[in-house]
Amino acid sequence: MSAQQPLSDDSATLTITNSSNVSTKKQPPPEKPSDVRRRSNVILSFWLIVLLLGLPIWWKTTTIYRADLPLEEMLEWADGKACRPVFPLRISIQASALQDQEAQNLLRLTQHALDDLNDFAGHHLRLQLSSPLGSEKRSTTDNGSALTIRLTPGEGTTSTLDPLEPILDITYSPNTIPSPTSSSSSLATYIASQLRSTFAEEQATISYLLSTNSMPSEHRPLSLSPETAESLAKRTTRSLKYAPTYHLTFSLFTSGPLPSSWDIESAIDEYMKPVLDVLSPIHNFTIDTQVQLYASPGVQSQVLNKEDLTSFINAAEWPLSPSIGGAPTINFIVFVGNQTIASADSSSQSWLIPQWGTVYLLSLPSDTIHVPANTLKQPLLTFTSHLLSLTGTPESGSLPLRLSTLARIRSADLLLRASSTLGSLARLAMALPSISIPSSVAAGVSETMSHLRLACDTLGGPQGLEHARIAEAEAERAFFEKSMVGQLYFPDEHKIAVYLPLLGPVAVPLVMGLINEIKAWRKRKREKAEKGAEKKKE
Amino acid sequence: MRQFLPFFSLSLLSFLSTTCGATSTTSDTAAADYHEQLVLRPLPQSALLASFNFRSNITVSEFEAHNFRFFPRSLGQILQHAGTRELHLRFGLGRWDSESWGARPWDGAREGGTGVELWAWLEAQSDEEADHKWLTLTNALSGLFCASLNFIDGTRTTRPVMSFQPEGDHPNTTATDTHLLYGVLPHEVVCTENLTPFLKLLPCKGKAGIATLLDGHKLFDASWQSMAIDVRPICPAGGECVLQIELTIDMVLDIDRSKRPRDNPIPRPPPGHELPCNTSKPYHSHDTCFPADHEANQDWTLSQIFGRSMKGTCPLTDSKVPPVCLQVPNSRAVYHSDGVLEKKNLDRISRCFEIKPDADFEIVLPNPRDDQENNQGAITHIVKPETPLLYAERSFTGHGQERGGMQTILRNPSPDTAVEFIYMESLPWFMRIYLHTMSARIDGQSGKDESLVKEVYYRPAVDRARATQLEVRMRVPPASTVFLTYDFEKSILRYTEYPPDANRGFDVAAAVITILNSANEAVYNLRTTTLLCSLPTPDFSMPYNVIIFTSTAIALAFGGMFNILVRRFVAADEGPEVGLAAVKAKLKGRLAVLAKRFGGAGAKKGVVEEVKPVPVADVKE
Repeated sequence: MSAQQPLSDDSATLTITNSSNVSTKKQPPPEKPSDVRRRSNVILSFWLIVLLLGLPIWWKTTTIYRADLPLEEMLEWADGKACRPVFPLRISIQASALQDQEAQNLLRLTQHALDDLNDFAGHHLRLQLSSPLGSEKRSTTDNGSALTIRLTPGEGTTSTLDPLEPILDITYSPNTIPSPTSSSSSLATYIASQLRSTFAEEQATISYLLSTNSMPSEHRPLSLSPETAESLAKRTTRSLKYAPTYHLTFSLFTSGPLPSSWDIESAIDEYMKPVLDVLSPIHNFTIDTQVQLYASPGVQSQVLNKEDLTSFINAAEWPLSPSIGGAPTINFIVFVGNQTIASADSSSQSWLIPQWGTVYLLSLPSDTIHVPANTLKQPLLTFTSHLLSLTGTPESGSLPLRLSTLARIRSADLLLRASSTLGSLARLAMALPSISIPSSVAAGVSETMSHLRLACDTLGGPQGLEHARIAEAEAERAFFEKSMVGQLYFPDEHKIAVYLPLLGPVAVPLVMGLINEIKAWRKRKREKAEKGAEKKKE
Repeated sequence: MRQFLPFFSLSLLSFLSTTCGATSTTSDTAAADYHEQLVLRPLPQSALLASFNFRSNITVSEFEAHNFRFFPRSLGQILQHAGTRELHLRFGLGRWDSESWGARPWDGAREGGTGVELWAWLEAQSDEEADHKWLTLTNALSGLFCASLNFIDGTRTTRPVMSFQPEGDHPNTTATDTHLLYGVLPHEVVCTENLTPFLKLLPCKGKAGIATLLDGHKLFDASWQSMAIDVRPICPAGGECVLQIELTIDMVLDIDRSKRPRDNPIPRPPPGHELPCNTSKPYHSHDTCFPADHEANQDWTLSQIFGRSMKGTCPLTDSKVPPVCLQVPNSRAVYHSDGVLEKKNLDRISRCFEIKPDADFEIVLPNPRDDQENNQGAITHIVKPETPLLYAERSFTGHGQERGGMQTILRNPSPDTAVEFIYMESLPWFMRIYLHTMSARIDGQSGKDESLVKEVYYRPAVDRARATQLEVRMRVPPASTVFLTYDFEKSILRYTEYPPDANRGFDVAAAVITILNSANEAVYNLRTTTLLCSLPTPDFSMPYNVIIFTSTAIALAFGGMFNILVRRFVAADEGPEVGLAAVKAKLKGRLAVLAKRFGGAGAKKGVVEEVKPVPVADVKE
């Protein structure tokens, strides 16, 4: 349609003759307007098909399914903006010997003293007065108080923690009772400082957890001294990741053929079972035991140095495969041999391997065939105390208090972990636009967030732990969704190699046709305008 | 007198072996918690069969309380997790040469085909649950034994109906909640990494007892070897049920090859004076040598063939079971290390050794020629192998990439007894068999014999989901050979279904033959060799070629059609000039325009430039 330009190159004169030649060249008959219109229609319809049908089909069939994720909200959780972890701890005061008004006054003053001492808003102690009849046990558990203070008159001011119940016994001399008008009292300050020291470890642990996670600075709790932070870091790295069930494996390893049997079952029942029962609200435990003869340790030297302890476990030969099923395994190994540990404290026979378990070196007479339960007492007591630190139980305080603290620490930990997993997922979804996000991930995320919300609202209570646990499991499941991984390895070069051979040759005539048609249309328009101008002239 | 001796010993052997088998099955329930035994049997053609057997028990109550002592904890956990009642796992390598070695050890009950075989009775309420547990089991075992057992998926799993019977005592074997599943991986190469976890399952590891002889280099250098793990519940009358694990390793060592020193493993021809020659030949002289029969050359020591000597005994083992037994005729002299008590058994063809717990043990078998002046044939130096009940061979027939055939030759050597057995094939789905072509005929007769096949159980394959399962109950008359044949079609796989070495072919699992006695009990098992089936294999650059080719075709068709619709057709002299000259002229014109734009207003050029646009304007009008 666009006429080629026959050009000559010899000289100007020749060009002129040539051009006269061209002008005399036979011209095709003028095209009928209907033909021109038909051609335009053909090109238009082709392009319409390509744009309206081809492109949507191509888009639809090659697009990657990405479920909608609430990215903003997920990042808010990860940054700690969505939830401010607050642990309101209720502490009830039993003061049967005091007048009601006196007790109220004491409570008010103590609360003031506590508030003055406390610089961490997230961990809050709230005092309340228990009813005078509340000495019975049920009421202390029913109203959900973390600790009960039992005030009894006595000589001097002393305080003791009850080893079996979450009760702090405080005696006071009657003259220290504050008068209703006084604004400060030594007894109130004393109680406050006692409470403070009782919960100091929990506070430090929680604030450590919050500080290691990306909490915004305005929520950042009290700053920890470097030593405390270091010891807390040690303790958290030592403890296993939270799981509702732990699998305990007790193994008897001997370097020779003897002994080949042990009374482990009765020993566990006697020395370890009580603690496992106490831990049962937080963790379940499954147990198995084994005897392994001819087990050579990874280190053969007679005296074990600190460096040897890390390589003592002969992972290649000892059958310590973790349990199948979901529960993480904690290994407790009694190694019968005559090796000793080189340390200042010569009596130490055991060491703890962080997040893995414990080894106890037991030296027995060489002809022992059977290890009786009473020989296993010391190893099992060691294992029990190590189990507590492997599960992350705090070190100070009475056992019930430590356990309730453990529940709170664990729920905070799980909450933060789930939040940070959500954040990672959100960042992943944003960083890789070509990754597919199946709807199961979106479902997992919404499930996680609803449980996180619930956990955040009930922090400190038993439901809080349960919700945090579900949230964490759901978040992990969403993050490790299998079908999300495969899409990562589909390179763009591959797509080009597949599409280009088809699209290239098809696109060239289409585009050329369109360009020519546009040119012809413009030409026609100009001609029309010229004609119109000529007519006007005439 | 001498002529009778072989016959006598043969009949005695068969008699004693049956009684021994019977006593061993009854006594093992009453035995201690652990025992181990190694049986060495020299075979013809300079081969030696070594059968290691380790057996340990755990009471069911201990098992349920997870207190493991002799039973390996790692395996126990898996069994509990997958609800397994009875488990059989086999690793096999090589071929048992039954023509010269005779009947298989353990009557074939402790061996599998080449590769890995697994069958188990699982406790499940439904088929889906059984499949799920099977998946758990295969995946866990795959991790434990460093084998690709996790590739036993639905396409390699069958549920045999007739071939397998539980070995253990199950309270009610016909219960609907017990499911038998069978999976096989013929392609798996068994190697040292499978032996190491196997040894870890033993209470004494490889540190004491007969397990010290197990060396990966020697085991996997053997002509034939099989590792088996069997777990079964056994309930003795009036006693507590126990769960028994039996670990068995059988291997046939080539004595000559095993004796080759490890630092000089390349075989070199021995010098002429060391060649074992048959001196009885009349043409024997210093420069001619007729090689002596292999069977005559049966001298070896324990440390020579296993590469190390045995270190004491495992202290946990049952002291009533002698740890090592040697099956050679009593007439043959055998030397052993000090402090070992040699006991010759009454059957006159075997002797056992009682070993002190912490002394090294060594046996020396001298060359029989040295201690006996008159060479009376090899038969007196080794125990003559027992004839198996049936010989089986399987091969592919046919040609081409589309169809194929399978032929199994089954020979009954017995002159007077017919053999009844179940022949089981578990074929991959891409071999689609034509069941109507299956026929059995007796060698020497034309036409198929309908009476040979008694019962057929056939479960057809489902593409990419299920394997073909074919179980045939057959009878082979005495002293006859039966040909069982059928045809199949090879299907074409999808591009991604081919393995990386697609041109090697696809392994077809061994057929399992279970010989039954009159009471329908399995008395002997054998397996054929695995086969390599070659499927039509495409050129793997094909998809790209196809893409390019179809794209070109589509583009051609589209371009032509589009141009016909859109172009205007005029006479040749009416249209614009085309061809090389037109392109050249156009290019020159363009260049001239450029030169004008950049070269300034040159007077000489100006003439040209002024003129040049003229034709352009001319044409454009």
